[in-house]
Amino acid sequence: MIEVTNLYKEFILSKQQQKELNTTDKKSIAVNSISFKCEPGKVFSLLGPNGAGKTTTLRMLSTIFQPTSGSIKIDGIDAVQHPQEARKKIGFLTGSTGLYARLTPNELIDYFAALYSVSSSDLKERKDKLFTLLDMHDFQNKRIGKLSTGMKQKVSICRTMIHDPQVIVFDEPTSGLDVITAENIITLIRDCKQEGKTVIFSSHIMSEVDLLCDDIAIIHKGNLLYNASLEEFKNQMTTENLTTEFIKIVKESSNN
Amino acid sequence: MIFTIFKKELKDTLRDRRTFMTMIVIPVLIFPVILNLFVGVSESYSKESATKKVKIGIVSEGENSISKELKEIPKIIGDKEIISYKDTLSLIQDIRKDSLQIGLFVNGNFNLHLQEKTAAPISVYFNATEMGMQDRIGKLAGGILPYIFIAFGFIGCMYPAIDLFTGEKERGTIETLLTTPVKRWQILFGKMGVVVLSGLLAATCALVGLFLSIEVFKLVEDQALLAIIHSILSPSFIIALFALLFPLTIFFAGIMIPIAIYAKTFKEAQSIITPLNIVMVLPAMIGFFPGIKLDIVTACIPVVNVVLSTKELIAGTLETKFLILSFFIMIVLAISAIFFSYKRFDKETNVIQ
Repeated sequence: MIEVTNLYKEFILSKQQQKELNTTDKKSIAVNSISFKCEPGKVFSLLGPNGAGKTTTLRMLSTIFQPTSGSIKIDGIDAVQHPQEARKKIGFLTGSTGLYARLTPNELIDYFAALYSVSSSDLKERKDKLFTLLDMHDFQNKRIGKLSTGMKQKVSICRTMIHDPQVIVFDEPTSGLDVITAENIITLIRDCKQEGKTVIFSSHIMSEVDLLCDDIAIIHKGNLLYNASLEEFKNQMTTENLTTEFIKIVKESSNN
Repeated sequence: MIFTIFKKELKDTLRDRRTFMTMIVIPVLIFPVILNLFVGVSESYSKESATKKVKIGIVSEGENSISKELKEIPKIIGDKEIISYKDTLSLIQDIRKDSLQIGLFVNGNFNLHLQEKTAAPISVYFNATEMGMQDRIGKLAGGILPYIFIAFGFIGCMYPAIDLFTGEKERGTIETLLTTPVKRWQILFGKMGVVVLSGLLAATCALVGLFLSIEVFKLVEDQALLAIIHSILSPSFIIALFALLFPLTIFFAGIMIPIAIYAKTFKEAQSIITPLNIVMVLPAMIGFFPGIKLDIVTACIPVVNVVLSTKELIAGTLETKFLILSFFIMIVLAISAIFFSYKRFDKETNVIQ
């Protein structure tokens, strides 16, 4: 379960950034008091155009960023007050995630398991299960730098799941991947849902959202524009498909 | 957790070819190459000296056999030309013009002293800047050799610092590391440990190179230089060197890490740290100059104090109170550098692209 209440984040702008953004404001609001809830066994999708504040929100959920104000609860743990405890519950995967190219998948998984304090018996069992599931046995001892994009993505998935997290945060997980490789992520999200885990993912690919999501939230310029179930969203649509409806909502918000 | 991070980062670093070259291969090779060049130059200098005719000017009262005695000195020390002068004034002028190497003024009857086997009063004139070349090379080596360890301490830190901080940011791996339940200071310490170890390892490899040069490749035959190298390879020198190098490398790492955290790309970090090399390491060359000693002022100047301490340790003139002061200054700077690095690493906008 993820509970977000009045989450707010601002960044201090340097003079260089003020120049780049063509503004005299000394602060930039990335996320403006948003609240939502992600339930276990459901997939929650955070939608929004580039620069909407999706990544900042997910970085706050996974405790990389500290919110300026507001609260985040991960499985009942206050993630702002006790980030270390909250991190044990979270698995984090982004489309741009890099891996240590000079390590082998085996070494990388062992390293992350150690960082999450996974016991050696749990590690052996989970590694065996995930390596078989993702068909990783053949390349487990090759340097990651020499692996294909698809293989690397499998290693990333395994790294995300090795501590058996209850909450999974995906930040545009399929961006830049071909359909076959992206399929691994789609399968993973489905499996997590079936296992009763809480899944939140950001995307702007509406076909993925339609395929996987139970609940959606649309954010734009840091503000929450819409938050309901996908079914409700479809019922109130005034355009012919999800993509055009999404564009319509964002445009209306920009005009207001 | 610090050790888990340290172990992984060390493995990762040792597998990086570029870091491996600057940390191990180049430091091991530097002394054999330098000493080989030094021996080559030294030999050609000796050969040139051997073929050079030594002109000796003599001013003496009346007839005496000093010229004959001088001519009888074996030819092995070189050809000689004995020139008689009427007064010491013209003799000194010729020495200044470099047309004469040695001038002798024999006061009294040389033959009488020779017969009585008593000491003859003879004044010797020479150009002091031409003499004692070997001695001056020895003194210079005493300053340069420890300086090389310091330079490698810096260079050894450079690539790991950039790779473990900027590189991790550039490759997008830092984000996942920060989502693990490890405290940021633990991540910083684990990584910093590898940066410091790399600096120390590079300096150690340079020391190994020096050992190989004289014990395995037998590159040095010059006794004065050999004496200096032996004093560098003595346990007391090695202990003192590493006691000073340890806080110094932490200081280097503590300066490089905030830059590496701030930089967005490997190239940007490299373009800031490389000139820093000149700013940090070149002023230490002040330690080469004769007359500059370790005192209350120089002991407070980082890097310079380490060069002067090691230089005076070789010369046997080191005062313990200044060594302790140098060590204390370096420890204070190292702690400040760690604190500064922590502040930068804790700032989220610095760590994430």
